[in-house]
Amino acid sequence: MISLYLEQTSYLHRMPAGIKLLAMAGLSLALYPIEQLSLLLVLAMLTLLIYASLGRPAMRGLKVFRSLVPIFALIFIMQAWSVGVYEAFALLLRMATLVLIANLITLTTKMDDMMTAMMPIFRPLRLFGVDPKRIAFAVTLLIRFIPVLMGVTQYLLEAWKSRGGGRQLWKLAIPLTIQSIRLSDHVAEALASRGGIRSVKKP
Amino acid sequence: MTQSVGQEQGIYLHQVTLVRNERTVIDQLSLQLSEPRIGLIGHNGSGKSSLLRLINGLLPANTGQISVFGQNPNSGPENMSSHVGFIFQNPDHQIIFPTVEEELCFGLLNQGLSKSTALENVMSFLSEQGRSDWAKRPIHSLSDGQKQWVCIVAIILMNPKVILLDEPFSALDLPTRYQLLDLLHHLPQQIIMISHELDSFTDFDRIIWLEEGKIRQDGPADEILKAYYADAKRVRVR
Amino acid sequence: MQDKSLVQIALYAALIAALGLIPPVPFVTGIPITAQTLGVMLAGVMLGPWRGALSMALFIFVVALGAPLLSGGRGGLGVFVGPTAGFAIGFPFAAFATGYVALMLRKLPTFPATLLASIVGGILVLYVFGITGFKLVTGRDWLDATKIMIVFIPGDIVKAVIAAAVAQAVVKGLPDAVYTRK
Repeated sequence: MISLYLEQTSYLHRMPAGIKLLAMAGLSLALYPIEQLSLLLVLAMLTLLIYASLGRPAMRGLKVFRSLVPIFALIFIMQAWSVGVYEAFALLLRMATLVLIANLITLTTKMDDMMTAMMPIFRPLRLFGVDPKRIAFAVTLLIRFIPVLMGVTQYLLEAWKSRGGGRQLWKLAIPLTIQSIRLSDHVAEALASRGGIRSVKKP
Repeated sequence: MTQSVGQEQGIYLHQVTLVRNERTVIDQLSLQLSEPRIGLIGHNGSGKSSLLRLINGLLPANTGQISVFGQNPNSGPENMSSHVGFIFQNPDHQIIFPTVEEELCFGLLNQGLSKSTALENVMSFLSEQGRSDWAKRPIHSLSDGQKQWVCIVAIILMNPKVILLDEPFSALDLPTRYQLLDLLHHLPQQIIMISHELDSFTDFDRIIWLEEGKIRQDGPADEILKAYYADAKRVRVR
Repeated sequence: MQDKSLVQIALYAALIAALGLIPPVPFVTGIPITAQTLGVMLAGVMLGPWRGALSMALFIFVVALGAPLLSGGRGGLGVFVGPTAGFAIGFPFAAFATGYVALMLRKLPTFPATLLASIVGGILVLYVFGITGFKLVTGRDWLDATKIMIVFIPGDIVKAVIAAAVAQAVVKGLPDAVYTRK
């Protein structure tokens, strides 16, 4: 429910997460110095072809782009105005391709696998006495409580509307904050009553 | 019954006082809780929830002694968890993991079981209940009653000596409540339960009626519930 | 309860995600104000610098893992290579600075203290990251990058005022809950 991951199998799904992440890092560096519009256009097309090869659900995954349109438009206008239209197109294509490639990894990698691939980043934390397993547990808690708090938000919004509402929606942040603080007290109690996160500390 | 043997087996409070935010919530309370089914009743703020939290160490007593199966709850709720199970009012406050299977395994892993043994236990319990297909279900797809069932099962699997329940049914419909009561009724564990639905206490051995942190009445279920009901009605007429 | 801080960090991060659900309010500049950066400011005020920063780091980490938790349903690795990557990366630092300043100003009344802290952390620090990221991704110079970002500032000042108002209300309702006002 709260992941962009596509439930299917494909050659990209089978590729190990670590390799995909490294490939993305490499591609980002390689894309950076490219200035020719034609070459950028070809690369963008190739990326779109990969999306197409994954089928219809992946094409639907492209909709993440919608929310980027305003900022992209703003950048395009500024660039076209100060440097030139050619350069503006080049910049836009380079940015869009990068985002598309990164998004591709998100669409084809399970959150668990992504987490395993990223865990090495947290190894240095051991020096400060933080067990990376606690991070994994915090991720689990976060994912579990997002739907709970979204439910609370939904209730508050409904109550707000049914009482006439109005434009000062930000006021909902007050009960929402108070309820999440209460919730975290309850959760901490319930967690302690079941032995804390011992199993996480000593696997 | 000798004192030492008794202390190993039951729950004892001696002259316990608890003060929260400068208010005396539990006042010089002495109790011996050994009956298999005990109900706690009283108005809101009478100290019922605090009493349960004293027993599993979520709240430390200011004065007095508590012994729970020979252990001192002051050692903290984490250490009490193998003896004392706790069910809270709202299942959404208790469930930690996104799927039923992970949620049920959690307590067992805390008790030192390996991942595979924990999962085996969980699966065999689920299949006994005819709910094997529940294992992979996401928690957010369950109803409130189903969630509370998961919470209770999570505690049953940990096999504590006593299960404390703090208004576990207040958000549930009547059939779900009876279903869960039936599940609880057949458990070998001692049960201490707070409820405002007085018919939940059918077949209970003992009811303790708290008022302002003290015992107002204490005795067999029929007698105490009758008195409590009469008192509540009188308050309303006044 | 040994794990209370960890629970607070995780649940606060979940709150930021839920705040992304509140419909954005269109503002005069035409750029919608989402409640999410409000959450970043509040993280510092409510949890203090360290736990506030950790909760934002957790949030951003889970976004990177692929959860579409940023407002508008954005998420995944794409966020970290796009033009607004600096803002996302700056969330924990902004929360830290907000919490730090709020602690420094704890002698002042709640409203001015949290307002000032939110402006320093949630605007100043966040924009340093945001503008740096924007410059790196688009290759524009500092001045240009700053000019583009300036359109967002009025909305963020409104958010700082709201963060202060929310903090004040929460302090009234649950005095013990606000770490930087204890």
